[in-house]
Amino acid sequence: MAHDRIRVAILGSGNIGIDLGERLLVDDDFEVVAIAGRRPDSPGLHRFDGRIPLVASNGIAGLIPHFDYLDGVFDATSSFDHPEHWAITKAHGKWIIDLTPSSIGRPTVPCLVDRVDSMHLNPGVEPDNLSMISCGGQSSGPLLYAITQGVSGIQEVEVSISVSSGSAGPATRRNIDHYIEATEALAAQVTGCERAKAILVLNPADPPVMMRTTAIVQADVIDLEAVHIACAEMVAEVQHAVHGYDLAVEPHLLSENLVSVTARVIGAGFYLPPHAGNLDIINSAAVESARIIGRHHLLAEAQS
Amino acid sequence: MTTYYDVTLRDGNHALRHQLTESFVREYCTSADSSGVWAVEVGHGNGLGASSFLVGKSAYSDEVLLAAARESLNEAKLAVHTIPGFATIDRDLRPAIELGVEVFRVATHVTEATVAQGHMEYLVDQDVIVHGVLMMSHMIELAGLLANAAQMKSYGASAIILMDSAGRFEPFEVKERVAMLHQELGLEVGFHAHNNLGLAVANAHAASGAGASIVDGAAMGLGAGSGNAQLECIVATDHGASHPDLRQVLGMSRLVESEFPDKLPRTTASSIESGLAGVFSGYAPQVKQISSEFGLRPDELWQALADHKVIAAQESMIREIAIELSMR
Repeated sequence: MAHDRIRVAILGSGNIGIDLGERLLVDDDFEVVAIAGRRPDSPGLHRFDGRIPLVASNGIAGLIPHFDYLDGVFDATSSFDHPEHWAITKAHGKWIIDLTPSSIGRPTVPCLVDRVDSMHLNPGVEPDNLSMISCGGQSSGPLLYAITQGVSGIQEVEVSISVSSGSAGPATRRNIDHYIEATEALAAQVTGCERAKAILVLNPADPPVMMRTTAIVQADVIDLEAVHIACAEMVAEVQHAVHGYDLAVEPHLLSENLVSVTARVIGAGFYLPPHAGNLDIINSAAVESARIIGRHHLLAEAQS
Repeated sequence: MTTYYDVTLRDGNHALRHQLTESFVREYCTSADSSGVWAVEVGHGNGLGASSFLVGKSAYSDEVLLAAARESLNEAKLAVHTIPGFATIDRDLRPAIELGVEVFRVATHVTEATVAQGHMEYLVDQDVIVHGVLMMSHMIELAGLLANAAQMKSYGASAIILMDSAGRFEPFEVKERVAMLHQELGLEVGFHAHNNLGLAVANAHAASGAGASIVDGAAMGLGAGSGNAQLECIVATDHGASHPDLRQVLGMSRLVESEFPDKLPRTTASSIESGLAGVFSGYAPQVKQISSEFGLRPDELWQALADHKVIAAQESMIREIAIELSMR
């Protein structure tokens, strides 16, 4: 059945799920078919009564009768629940965008799709699971990619991320190693350098601090001017989707073989506050990734 | 009776810009082993897995330094400092256990105890001693301090250590906090001083007097910023029944003094500024370098870091704030 808009459902009615719902409802590329939470009394869920056709409080079970109508699913639940959600989605032949830190799917940074080897889309319409990695992965990936454009002989890469305490939920805290490991794996994929380190700091300052991400690369040869140009281009590209993403410190040399750049993310806040830039960037990434894979599948189906 | 916890080979590594050598670890551990200090903490200044471009690369890996210490310690326990967000279980904690580390001090910023849960619960199951460390402990009121200490207790910590990471406290403030934790928590309490205001030894004694049973010290005060409480001074003025052997502790002091004559910390104008501003002492080298690069006064940069409520491990913020200041 041919259709123009990408038909999606959202799993999860926490802050992430609500923000996703608000974003997708004002995005003409998407038709939001359903949102499913787990608690009938969830206030997040009922703000969508009358605005999204199906508001379910029995989790993914509520979506199952409607799967054939969908193109794909956003999973904004938890890394514990994601495997089951992916299994069901896959069995119905649909794609899923994973916003949990499960690291089951393919790490995806929207602006790096088709630029980084591991981020090519499958040619067909097989079910696909795209992992949004972590907020640190989304904010550092573009910086690291830009740096690779101006250096050669990369020896080691490092990203450090600071976020406001209030925007780091219990899942991130309990699974802080997952966050670090997923972010390191992405840094290695983007730069092709296995020696990758990620550091996460939670800052409790009140008023809350904006998210910051610093990427540092050690390389045999660094052309700082080329890094400057590549960073400016990449930042402009990210800004299309994440308006509050910008350089806080321009690329600079820490030593002859060490280049550093820092980005700041001010949340655009559909539902979330400005200091939750970390949540803004991962939700933006989820929407852009869904746009890419959703269009890809619709096009492939139209041609088949 | 006070338990002495020797941080010379860990906090002291800040003063050495993390260039501590394997051979000095052997030499110092051999000297400290029978001195009567309970534990010797070894590693990068920011703990396990912290060697990085951001906070400074270690000259020797954790593995090499810990193995050297392990071979040189019999009586004193081998200890590490570890911060979730830098270290991970798979890459850092498990290998450290295999290397024979006996005491793990899991540290978080004073308001963020909940990030320690995963690492602490893992360690408690591994039959090692687990302490909870609250860093920058001046940045919270009493009720919040107790709540965070209680979180760490619930994860299985057998002691809670207050770190005055900015060297901000005066003795009456140390007493108030230690006494509260000692009375309310039902766990051993420890105190880790910094000497920004010249009060580290006095604060260490204030902590013992208020019920702290673990006191941190470093030979020659070797530590971040203006250094830690000088171990030999606390021991020399400990009038309790049992304490480390002063003669041996003075030997450790002489060893550090002769090995690092140009690295010994002291209270300076800049350390007083940072102490009053309540900013992490470990930033001293970067503040010195970046303030001169941007033509700023160190005190205005310290104050701006305080105004931005910068905490430990935010080295990259120093440059950003300096740029902002220099454009005013």
